[in-house]
Amino acid sequence: MTTIQSGLLALLCFLVLPVQAEVIEVELHYVGPTEGSAWLGVQQGLDEANLQGEFLGQKYSLKPVSADELVTLKSVTALLVAADAEQILAVAQSKQFASTPVFNLTSDSDALRSACLPNLLNIGASQKMKQDAEVQMVAKNPDSKAHAQSWHQDFKKFAARQLNSRFLKTQGVIMDDDAWAGWTAVKMLSGGVARTQSTDASVMLDFLKNVAAFDVQKGGAPLFVTQDN
Amino acid sequence: MKLKQLLLSSLIFVSASVWADPTYRLFVTNEKSDSVSVIDSRTGELETTIDIGKRPRGIGLSPDQKTLYVAISEENAIAMVDVATLEILGKLQPGDDPETFSVHPDGNLYVSNEDDAKVSVIDPKTNEILHEIRVGIEPEPVAASPNGEVVLVASESTNMVHIIDTETHKVVANILVGARPRGLVFNSTGSLAYVSSEIANEVAIIDIEKREVIKTVSIDIDKSKPMAMVLSPDEKTLYLTTGRASKVAVFDAKTLELLSTIDVGKRVWGAVLSRDGSTLYTANGVSHTVSVVDTASNKSTMEIEVGKFPWGLALDD
Repeated sequence: MTTIQSGLLALLCFLVLPVQAEVIEVELHYVGPTEGSAWLGVQQGLDEANLQGEFLGQKYSLKPVSADELVTLKSVTALLVAADAEQILAVAQSKQFASTPVFNLTSDSDALRSACLPNLLNIGASQKMKQDAEVQMVAKNPDSKAHAQSWHQDFKKFAARQLNSRFLKTQGVIMDDDAWAGWTAVKMLSGGVARTQSTDASVMLDFLKNVAAFDVQKGGAPLFVTQDN
Repeated sequence: MKLKQLLLSSLIFVSASVWADPTYRLFVTNEKSDSVSVIDSRTGELETTIDIGKRPRGIGLSPDQKTLYVAISEENAIAMVDVATLEILGKLQPGDDPETFSVHPDGNLYVSNEDDAKVSVIDPKTNEILHEIRVGIEPEPVAASPNGEVVLVASESTNMVHIIDTETHKVVANILVGARPRGLVFNSTGSLAYVSSEIANEVAIIDIEKREVIKTVSIDIDKSKPMAMVLSPDEKTLYLTTGRASKVAVFDAKTLELLSTIDVGKRVWGAVLSRDGSTLYTANGVSHTVSVVDTASNKSTMEIEVGKFPWGLALDD
């Protein structure tokens, strides 16, 4: 290769490389059963995060881990936990994950909300929130046997129709509270990675807690759908 | 002089053969009445209502303004209506769930297939899908640039504006914007595009050549959920509908400074501006009306009853 040729090659590399953005590899960790609603919701979220990532240069993978394996983890962006309140609290309170986002996908325990842990992100509605919604419903309609949920397959507004429809199409079951929580957690994380271009847990936690607006297909504010039995 | 006259008459001949005389009809899609309201924009009178098909939303005119296109997403079709006779000419099959579209200057339609995360390009003359382009999740607003070089589509759930090169039909850039982009509009040269984001409650300007957002503003209006936008003919003013805030926000198009707000009907979605920029029409979803706004005074002068949940508007003027 002549000097001119290698010079041109170097120039070409210089011109080409900066426009080919590096793909960010993101590994998310999941604690819980690898079947059931929360798992399927996380899978749906992962599929959609990877579709977004194809365009924006991110690749997501999910690693299921047992509660016992957590201590062995070195680098974690976020933990998705589908477990009971006690287990979720134990993970969120551990020093190891004090600056790591810990998503509660399954527990409606009020204690988890009142614990006020800065790294614990409760996705679904709490028992108290659901009870309040039911009280309001009964005040309006005394015969109502409604029970409150975070999510419902007949919810249509704010593109919930589309989300319910593609979840059913892909996963073969209706989207319920836990599935929506799993999907929401991954969507928030993929939004965070796309916007911060970082996989660092503390960067992610700061972004998740301080970002102005997330679109979890509920139109912004929390909304509780009721169902008459 | 004779040459000038000859040139002028041939120009008139050419334009007459391409463009029909305007009917001044305002067409409104009524999402929950499965109909299109036809209004005489000169009087504000409802002329007739056309049964169009299930869940009509996106609406637009062919470049010669002789054909009206209406997306009827639950029938997976786009209905074609003769603007002069109001006869339904047929239905295009642009793939699943065509929620809305943009008519390219060459006459082809770029359709967002919301459930399939793709854009289909359909030739209305042959009903043939020419291209399918994969985009992000829940693509909805589409806008062809005035010179036809690029088409923008926003994927609502993945918060991106995709730039599609219309020569190669490839996505050439993906721009991350505020949560749930809902509206797109170009300036006349196609150098800039405005994007509104419903959940982020903001409007941004995209520089098409740089392929990046160059300015973003938050909307300081109570309950605002930004939707459709239109640009005044002099490109100095940007009008934005704000959904449940039931107002049109008026911005300086260059600085995005909020200049004023206009009260219109409830849950305002679609908007269209008269060719001369003097009159703005808005579709008010919950009021089931169309507001007529005088842009000189920025006041609503009339509210016209239409079908249930009016969504989009097209004006033949």
